[in-house]
Amino acid sequence: MNKVGIVGVGTTAFKARWIEKTYYELAYDAAKLALEDAGIDKKDVGGVVYGIYNEFFERQFMPDVYIHNYIGMGLKPSVRVATGGATGGAAVFVGWTWIASGLYDIVMVLGVEKATDNYNYAVGHPTPETLKAILFSGDMTFENPMGLTAAASYALPMIAHIDKYGTPTEKQMAMVSVKNHKNAINNPIAQSPKLLTVDDVLNSKMITYPFKFYDNCLYSEGASAIILASEKVAKSLSDNPAWITGVGLSLDKAFAGERDDITIFTSSLYAGNDAYKMAGIKNPIKELDFAELHDAFTGAEILSYEAFNFCKPGDGGKLIEDGVVEMGGSLPVNPSGGLIGCGHAVGATGVMQTGEAALQVQGRAEKRQVKNARVGLVQSIGGPATAWTAAMIVERQDKIRVQRGKGTKGQGVKGARMKRTKGKGSKGARVQQARGKR
Amino acid sequence: MIQNKEQWLEEASKKIKVPKELIEKAFHDELNGNPSIDAPLEVPDIMDITYKYTYGGISRFFREIRDNKQLYGTKCTHCGKVWLPPRINCNECYAPTKWVKLGSTAKIITYTIVYYATSVFYGKTPYVCAFVKVEGSDTLIMQNVFLEDVKKARVGMKLKIQFKEYRNGDMGDFWFVPAGEDLQHE
Repeated sequence: MNKVGIVGVGTTAFKARWIEKTYYELAYDAAKLALEDAGIDKKDVGGVVYGIYNEFFERQFMPDVYIHNYIGMGLKPSVRVATGGATGGAAVFVGWTWIASGLYDIVMVLGVEKATDNYNYAVGHPTPETLKAILFSGDMTFENPMGLTAAASYALPMIAHIDKYGTPTEKQMAMVSVKNHKNAINNPIAQSPKLLTVDDVLNSKMITYPFKFYDNCLYSEGASAIILASEKVAKSLSDNPAWITGVGLSLDKAFAGERDDITIFTSSLYAGNDAYKMAGIKNPIKELDFAELHDAFTGAEILSYEAFNFCKPGDGGKLIEDGVVEMGGSLPVNPSGGLIGCGHAVGATGVMQTGEAALQVQGRAEKRQVKNARVGLVQSIGGPATAWTAAMIVERQDKIRVQRGKGTKGQGVKGARMKRTKGKGSKGARVQQARGKR
Repeated sequence: MIQNKEQWLEEASKKIKVPKELIEKAFHDELNGNPSIDAPLEVPDIMDITYKYTYGGISRFFREIRDNKQLYGTKCTHCGKVWLPPRINCNECYAPTKWVKLGSTAKIITYTIVYYATSVFYGKTPYVCAFVKVEGSDTLIMQNVFLEDVKKARVGMKLKIQFKEYRNGDMGDFWFVPAGEDLQHE
């Protein structure tokens, strides 16, 4: 297999509603940012992999075909990935195979999601309708009629885990919420930057036992794109590309009642092991410098520590108590704020997380930069009861270490930043910021 | 600007099946304000499909519930595993299954309590969703468990099945209640 580099990253703001943009307009913004960041033209792109989750969110089936047209990629190869909450990560996985196979030299992975064009007139708010749109992802005969929400879908393995191990405790989960909301303060695209206390989380209203309001991520709208490239092209575009050195994808039994063990995130265990094996990682807690995990709910982040072998099953809560996963800890988790702090624009989320990991290992993560970040893990979960996981190892392999945070020589894409579009499209000044090297 | 407010509301209400007053509330600014020509314009819409869906090979499962108040699973003719939800073949052996009668008791393996639900389930919160193991089955099925106090739900709780009085032939035709309880939930 050929090496796969990440040479461009572009993400719009994640926010509750992008009333001023349609899904293809958002997709365009992310595509433009990523192309500028890579310093390439859309003509250079060999093909595009789209990550878009829910037809009812977009009010459109096959939304990818209209995006492909809208962003000027007509006649290029394209495929859409839809794997629930794992859509973005799985899209990166597919894009990775397109480069690793040698089929294309440059591939764009573009995730986008609307979520709050849904609207419930009775309560005057989108959420009940958004939940209803998601409920169509539960088996229509056996699960949808039971009123299983996305939160309930995560809560089922969570309660089984808590019953078996006594953890995570509500306080440990609250600490994850405090951490991720706080980390988001350093992220200019984040939807929910907040300074909370553990008590704020514990006292917030119950949504789905054991998850309270601040244990949940919010629905977001937004788009994120990354540019993947073959080794030769990546090295020609950047002195310091990020590399995806391991990938894993696992789909557990969607009828979770058939699983041998419902107390753990088995698909994350499998996807993680595959990604670790490919990247040659044997002791993740020592070898990983950071992780961007799928904290759709606080408890999910803790069970993911365990599934990814940061610790034994049942011990995940200790990692947050001991500060290991905090910024400044030995394995910071979700420097971006994660889904809870940054937001969850479903199809875009896994792409955003992968882009974040690239910025981290390239030393371009600005205020949220993890010191000496060389190797990171990205996780994208989706499907009923966390059935799907896509996992990626993103790392830097340059010999010359970059002086992080100083924008000095050795940084591949000078001056380029993960830019925030503010609803008016990119300004000329920002376009000039991105390097034009071909 | 919307030319005829009343007509617009009438047509919108018919289209999305929502009372006019609620639509008026949601579109208050567009209907009564003077938004600029470049302001984002929202429109009422709905995606709606009707079905005549077939249960295919597991039709008997729903007929037994509807007509006989009896829960059936399917047993693999090769490995003997009993499936609930039922399936007409085994995904481990790739062998056919046969119908077997199941018991009326069950146990909670894991559960959650939903306090905030979709619009379809408004008025029903809080409710318990659980994976339960029905007597005679080797797999778990998701069902609602009705309790006087939802907070009393526990892993390992013993349950019994209850059937709805007028049954439609779907999963809403039955649910579980604590084994010791006489209360009929409806």
